[in-house]
Amino acid sequence: MTAPITPPLVRMQSLHKSYGPAIQVLKGLDIEMQPGERLVVIGPSGGGKSTLLRVMMGLEKIDRGSIMFGGKPYISSDGLDKKTKIDTEVRRSIGMVFQHYTLFPHLNVVENLILAPCKVRKERKSDATERAVGLLTRFGLAGKAKAYPSQLSGGQKQRVAIARALMLDPKLMLFDEVTSALDPELVAEVEQVILQLAAQKMPMMIVTHDMWFAKNIASRVIFCAGGVVVEDGPPEQVLGSPKEERTRDFIDRVFHIRQ
Amino acid sequence: MALDFSIILRFQDALLLGLWMTLKLTLICVILGCTFGFLVGLARTSRSLALRAISSVYVEFFRGTPVLIQLFWIFFCLPMILGIELSNLASGVIALTLYMGAITSETFRASLKSVGPEQLDACIALGLPRRNQVTNVILPQAVLRAIPTLLSNCVSLFKESALVSAVGMADLMFVGQNISNNTARPVEVLTIVALIYFVIAFPLTRAVSLIERRILAKLAI
Amino acid sequence: MNYSFDFQSISFAPLWEGLMVTLELTAAANIIGIVGGFLLALLIMSPIAVIRLPAMLFVEFFRCTPAIVQIVWFFYCVPMLFNVFLGSMTMGILALGFNLMAFNAEAYRASIQAVPREQIDAGIALGLNPLQRILYIVLPTAFRASIPVLLTNGIGIFQQSALVAIVAVQDLMYQGKTLATETYRPIETFTVVALIYFAVSFPVTQVVGYFERRRHLLMS
Repeated sequence: MTAPITPPLVRMQSLHKSYGPAIQVLKGLDIEMQPGERLVVIGPSGGGKSTLLRVMMGLEKIDRGSIMFGGKPYISSDGLDKKTKIDTEVRRSIGMVFQHYTLFPHLNVVENLILAPCKVRKERKSDATERAVGLLTRFGLAGKAKAYPSQLSGGQKQRVAIARALMLDPKLMLFDEVTSALDPELVAEVEQVILQLAAQKMPMMIVTHDMWFAKNIASRVIFCAGGVVVEDGPPEQVLGSPKEERTRDFIDRVFHIRQ
Repeated sequence: MALDFSIILRFQDALLLGLWMTLKLTLICVILGCTFGFLVGLARTSRSLALRAISSVYVEFFRGTPVLIQLFWIFFCLPMILGIELSNLASGVIALTLYMGAITSETFRASLKSVGPEQLDACIALGLPRRNQVTNVILPQAVLRAIPTLLSNCVSLFKESALVSAVGMADLMFVGQNISNNTARPVEVLTIVALIYFVIAFPLTRAVSLIERRILAKLAI
Repeated sequence: MNYSFDFQSISFAPLWEGLMVTLELTAAANIIGIVGGFLLALLIMSPIAVIRLPAMLFVEFFRCTPAIVQIVWFFYCVPMLFNVFLGSMTMGILALGFNLMAFNAEAYRASIQAVPREQIDAGIALGLNPLQRILYIVLPTAFRASIPVLLTNGIGIFQQSALVAIVAVQDLMYQGKTLATETYRPIETFTVVALIYFAVSFPVTQVVGYFERRRHLLMS
């Protein structure tokens, strides 16, 4: 393995996070992610996967640790005054899609897409609308531009949510169990869109329970349990023949195979 | 006994004047009360403890006492305390605005609370500034959700406005009672008065449930 | 402001008497409202139109007209129309009781219809007959769900009961008005009366709030 020439896209160092003294979700996480990587995080519920993404997005404070993004300091907390410092400029280059869509129900699809570009980047409404329609067309949603979220299927909502996040040209996309709330027949259309982004070399961090999807999209898989990284490697290793006992147990249980 | 509803026709004009007073009073207090209630609703969710405390005491007190005594207090006591003359209309407007402000502030507060935390997550993930989170995402949803309850608050106000007859304001109820006393025909007159109130309030309550269903359908993600 | 307060001249004995009358009115009206409201709720959900429509008209009429109109109407018109002469206390109780019945019927109806369809399906799947499904599944769930609204309506009628002062029932409001006129001390009197009403209402609304919060916790 040769040393990367560019700095890592993300460098997390000893992330600690707890809810009260009893519940420790992250117990010193160290993860580095190179540009162009597609990192899939798997693991049991309560293992800290979703918290990891929420911390990365700046939605949760941390108790201790730091995150560098693109070589710049992004989030840090020294653990003394319990204050999480966060650079909101850096945060704007990260996009996130949630399990429950979180579209704005009072705005139609295009309005959902252009709200942030117009308000954050002061983009002209006509320009933003043009880009929005372009994205929607690419995702097969051209006819839904004027529809309200309540008039869309779950799969359509989630594709709109992805388009909304892409409107800000993120340098990293976070996907938090984006297909978990969907009916099985709608999962594929959302995964197709994410695979399409992968083909364009969009760096992404994905939390999912769908092992088939994990295998297809990942360039690297991390198995996270008990607030620490248990195993980290290429998908063939972690999903196919894991080295760690705990990973193997988990994979066995999820797949229900190997007698 | 023989009922003779035609007697109402002789007092048509007086009743219409009374109805006009009722509607005028209701309309003024709907506008003032909703505005005030909105501000109080914000104050009740504010970070300042003093604002929260003052607004809570106001709301709880006005919700916890009969409107009649609020009305009496404002008609008889407020002028004495302030040392000024208040016209009947002014007193009525103050009293009913304060009542309306208290009930609508609860409506606004509940609808503000009903906008879920995941909407805020989405705002942060999109990098929206705090000001836009409030004006473009939270408030529009809260106000939409508040509309049906606000409308039924208006119906309540319309009904409560009949209380001003007890302090001598010439609204529909007052006029009706006067006619009924003068003609000794309470059954005809009071029944018609009740029907007038009903004819206005009933369609509004139907509209409430209609709008409620529409809004719920739209906001259900 | 150059008004000097004088709470000394307020005699509490009549106010106490008035409060007792107010509480009696409230309690009696609530008994009518809770029992009668339930029966009325069954009528407005009846599949038979001849039963349902008059019951709905009754409910809507009480919900869509001012309580003061209802009370004045009751006091003037019932004796003339039906040739019955009841004491003013009884009239007050009936007028307030009917009003509360209408509002409570709505509360019962809403909570009965809010029992999730799956609950009833589960009852069918377990082989319960229609009566058993109503007795063991629908009603217990619905009744529990309607308690906060019943309490809110009940305390509402406590406040509305002040209206009977207008037709000379000697309740708290009436005693307050008399005292204010006799002592020329309206500010002190009306303030004390308002505080008494508040002191009774407020704890009840707090209890309702507690019930509702607990319910939300249990349901989530």
